Amino acid sequence: MSTMFADTLLIVFISVCTALLAEGITWVLVYRTDKYKRLKAEVEKQSKKLEKKKETITESAGRQQKKKIERQEEKLKNNNRDLSMVRMKSMFAIGFCFTALMGMFNSIFDGRVVAKLPFTPLSYIQGLSHRNLLGDDTTDCSFIFLYILCTMSIRQKILGLAPSRAATKQAGGFLGPPPPSGKFS
Amino acid sequence: MSGGRRKEEPPQPQLANGALKVSVWSKVLRSDAAWEDKDEFLDVIYWFRQIIAVVLGVIWGVLPLRGFLGIAGFCLINAGVLYLYFSNYLQIDEEEYGGTWELTKEGFMTSFALFMVCVADSFTTGHLDHLLHCHPL
Repeated sequence: MSTMFADTLLIVFISVCTALLAEGITWVLVYRTDKYKRLKAEVEKQSKKLEKKKETITESAGRQQKKKIERQEEKLKNNNRDLSMVRMKSMFAIGFCFTALMGMFNSIFDGRVVAKLPFTPLSYIQGLSHRNLLGDDTTDCSFIFLYILCTMSIRQKILGLAPSRAATKQAGGFLGPPPPSGKFS
Repeated sequence: MSGGRRKEEPPQPQLANGALKVSVWSKVLRSDAAWEDKDEFLDVIYWFRQIIAVVLGVIWGVLPLRGFLGIAGFCLINAGVLYLYFSNYLQIDEEEYGGTWELTKEGFMTSFALFMVCVADSFTTGHLDHLLHCHPL
């Protein structure tokens, strides 16, 4: 059973390492490029400007003002699309690496109970939490479930290279949920 | 309730890329602090949530608090404590930040995932003897 505790710590360590690896790959392929830096700065500037304009606009604002805002929104949407295309490169590389890594870890931890949960997960989550485990004890936790939880909790905290909340809000579905804008120093 | 009690403060210097300086922590516990930068305040809410998740996760796992009562308890405490903090203690105007719901969901899923990790780890660690007794190998 002491190996279960070691497995738990190991999986937390693995998720930290894989998160760093993903950010590292993204930094090499995307973040350090001039194109990305330029696009990100442009998107940040436009998002903040648009947000301020939307806050000050009133119901009785003229058609010209509304058209101006629409043009700015269109420009911002195009820049966000370009930003997403730039990040696509790293997504492919990360996808490829992680497919290989996950295959390896799944075979290492196959059939191993890595933690015990103090509750029984919902039935549709048991498919994940009890994946590849023997027995009927649904409080047994598999590698993949713990890994996903660790990744969800760790990934968003690392670095401060993601776009700000204003940019993410204006982009809508492009960039996903708003991450924190930076880290505490 | 608006933040009428907030005093004017000189703008807080910030590093590039939005990183927070240590001075933010000096504002966190002051009910009369001014929060000019919205992102800064949202980051404080975010990190407070993570701290609550770690603390509750360890406690819940050690007790242990079993079943969905534990999860529901975490959700209520997490949302409730932060709501009391920004609504009653800081008395900020929630509408400035997109409403109570936006402040409530800021970092909530991340903190929930972190809570689950801490619960699983502390429960597994804290009850190894019990598990050994019940499942002899």
